Amino acid sequence: MNHSRNMEILKERAEAVQVVVTEVPDPAQAWRYAVELTQKQGGAAIAAPGWDPDSLAALEKECAQAGLGLYRQNLRDQIGGFHTGLTRADWGIAATGTLVLESTSEDLRLATMLCETHVAVLPRSRLKPDSLSLEAELAKLMGEPPRYLAFITGASRTADIERVLTLGVHGPLELHLLILED
Amino acid sequence: MIDTAQDLKEYKKRLKNALHNDFLRQTLKNFYEAYPAGRARALEGLDVQGLRAQIAACKDQALPRIEELFETFKTHAEAAGVKVHLARTALDANEIIATIAKDNGVKKIVKSKSMTAEETFLNHHLEQEGLEVVETDLGEWIIQLRHEGPSHMVMPAIHLSRQEVADLFTKVTEEPQEPDIEKLVKVARREMRKHFLSADMGISGANFAIAPTGTLGIISNEGNARLTTTLPRVHVALVGLDKLVPDLHTALQILKVLPPSATGQVITSYVTWITGATECTTAPGGKKEMHVVFLDNGRLALARDPVFSQALRCVRCGACANVCPIYSLVGGHNYGHVYIGAIGLILTYFYHGRKNAQAIVQNCLSCQACKSVCPAGIDLPHLIKETYGEVLRQGYPKPFKNKLLARVLKDRRLFHFLLRRAYLAQKPLARPKGGLIRHLPFFFGKEHDFRSLPAIAKTPFRDMWSRLYEKVENPRYRVALFGGCLVDFVYPEQGHALIKLLKGRGVQLEYPLGQTCCGLPAQALGEKDVAREVALQNLKAIDPSDYDYIVTLCASCASHLKEAYPRLLEDEPGLAVKVKQLTDKLIDFSSFMTTVLKVSPKEFQGSRKKVAYHSPCHLCRGLGVTQEPRDLLAAAGLDYRTARREDVCCGMAGSYSFEFPELSAELLRQKLDAVEETGAELLVTDCPGCVLQLRGGMDKRGAKIKVKHIAEAVAEEKKG
Repeated sequence: MNHSRNMEILKERAEAVQVVVTEVPDPAQAWRYAVELTQKQGGAAIAAPGWDPDSLAALEKECAQAGLGLYRQNLRDQIGGFHTGLTRADWGIAATGTLVLESTSEDLRLATMLCETHVAVLPRSRLKPDSLSLEAELAKLMGEPPRYLAFITGASRTADIERVLTLGVHGPLELHLLILED
Repeated sequence: MIDTAQDLKEYKKRLKNALHNDFLRQTLKNFYEAYPAGRARALEGLDVQGLRAQIAACKDQALPRIEELFETFKTHAEAAGVKVHLARTALDANEIIATIAKDNGVKKIVKSKSMTAEETFLNHHLEQEGLEVVETDLGEWIIQLRHEGPSHMVMPAIHLSRQEVADLFTKVTEEPQEPDIEKLVKVARREMRKHFLSADMGISGANFAIAPTGTLGIISNEGNARLTTTLPRVHVALVGLDKLVPDLHTALQILKVLPPSATGQVITSYVTWITGATECTTAPGGKKEMHVVFLDNGRLALARDPVFSQALRCVRCGACANVCPIYSLVGGHNYGHVYIGAIGLILTYFYHGRKNAQAIVQNCLSCQACKSVCPAGIDLPHLIKETYGEVLRQGYPKPFKNKLLARVLKDRRLFHFLLRRAYLAQKPLARPKGGLIRHLPFFFGKEHDFRSLPAIAKTPFRDMWSRLYEKVENPRYRVALFGGCLVDFVYPEQGHALIKLLKGRGVQLEYPLGQTCCGLPAQALGEKDVAREVALQNLKAIDPSDYDYIVTLCASCASHLKEAYPRLLEDEPGLAVKVKQLTDKLIDFSSFMTTVLKVSPKEFQGSRKKVAYHSPCHLCRGLGVTQEPRDLLAAAGLDYRTARREDVCCGMAGSYSFEFPELSAELLRQKLDAVEETGAELLVTDCPGCVLQLRGGMDKRGAKIKVKHIAEAVAEEKKG
């Protein structure tokens, strides 16, 4: 199955679980997306751990212009203070619409768990057709502890009261997936 | 606290209450009706049978190696900074966890969902040790606050309404809360966030323990497992030894089918894989204090049990409850102790004792709906019967019917003598026409009055056989009919219909008179020895080498012969060949007509009579025959109208309908409603047991729809 077909499947599966999927041509568009979304939702700050310094510089500028706070680390001290978690996704799994995040860094986990909205950026080339095609990579990572790996497919959800689907019971209320050209 | 009925009388009282709980009934019905389509959608494109076989094989290969897998896990996890414990008993596990809490100065614990912790009643233990424990899964939190057990393995609070939750949250928050689900979920989010941030320790379960890397895999939708394993400085995972898998591959395969089977999701929102003690900035040294407590509690012995070990294949998806017609009527608090659904009826005996299992284990239709969806391929109905057998062996007083059956069934002459006597005894009760009994005999209570019972035939099929027998010169096929008790003694006309349809087709039909009851009723009552004894008698009466086919008119007999005989007779030297020949040559009536004799429409009148079809459990699931009866109806020129849920049990299930008449009546009502909606004038099925139930029910409701065995309906359409 070719890459673009897999991309269609990923989108289809992700959208089926209320993920908002958008394609972005370059990182600048991704920063802008996260900033505008945060503003629109009335958020005051973005938590963005795990990015390289160049990316951060650009994001910092966008945030400053928009009057938003930006937290890159020590997120324990900022719990409740950030609205958006902006992170990379290490892989995408088309068959289930899943994002895989290598989350061994505590900051990365806190950003994705304690935000109201999670924006994840997936480089297009990092897409796999199904979980088994990622097995070797995952097994390798697990063989190098400590390791905290997360499969994320949609926002936090529950159907525990009368089986009515409700989003955001513990973690993010929304998940936005930005597919980045690379 | 969980309080499971320990005797049938109390149990039946509770079942009755559940049947009258309108909210529960509606909720369960909605789920029951929506689930199959959701599951099918989520499994689309997957080779479900192949995955099931793989998972079963992987689990079966892992079970004898559990201790080795445990050692491997321990080595790798400890190298990564995790402390690994093995708890022999539930109390051991609870004490180990309480000690970890004490050693780490823990006051408050947040907990994500763990059935294993439910199994050990961990919360209760920790609370008695003075610790504060908060369940963070929404459903678990709700039942914790209500001091109840879960009523479903995946949806623990499915039995509660939004109003009940609102009332509960009003009490907890001391602020009025509206019965608005979205708002209630927000309340939980707010309350729970405080607990997450102030807890010292997080307790989770795990769906997988991957031995070669010492990795835990945890499935969750809410994300509470992520917070539980991230925020507090201590993390303890309580994991059943049966969750050990030999590699990541097995875990990923199970992951493909678990969420679809559980909730009809392709995958849950989160799957978390933790290897080793990870970063935790609030912990001393910046590293999480992490412990994995493996629970034995009988699992190691269970893994070696020749019959019951497959129960440990269970991946805790709850699918067996989701498709269970009985669960859909009475809910989880009446269908398990801690573990719910078909697997719960089995595990309760092993983990929570005979007293908690002895009543609930009898409440199984053996309809095989659970078996047909179990992603690990566990033969649940079989294990439930085996569990009941164990319950009897362990001293549960044997019901009178068991004693009677054991005495009578082994002796064919006595059994048949009694059936003939019954004909005489019922005479004053029988209606002049129609083969039904006018009044129920006095010893039946009024709860049995939901269907008319059939009268025993004046002349059983076997007594007519010498007159019916026709010698066929140079036959194409030599065929033995396995009649079964109902065809022989109650509905001989179904046998006549078969003879009529075989005429002129070169089939030499035999009815070996030494045959007796197939033994299913004995197995249903947990009387394995009796079942084995009659199986031997039948094999003696019908030597499969003498025939090309053994045809049955009864799906239940056929499925019992095919599935149970190999198991029952596996220890009998020299019989394996005969059993294999029997099962290879066994064929149900509809398949014989369509695939062997290949009947064609030109042999029939083409009346286009409107018929509905009931798919017997033992045919569609037991034998896997679904298309042939429908093909036969079409070939016979009948206008087949599909009804809702044709493959759901009619509620007969042999002696079940006498033990639990109210549940049987309810299933029958739903079935007949669905049939009436089709506008059919005739309802056919291929099992005389189902005919008994359906015809008796149609008669009681005074409906015009006739009920017939498919052989009779097809025979009537034959030209000439």
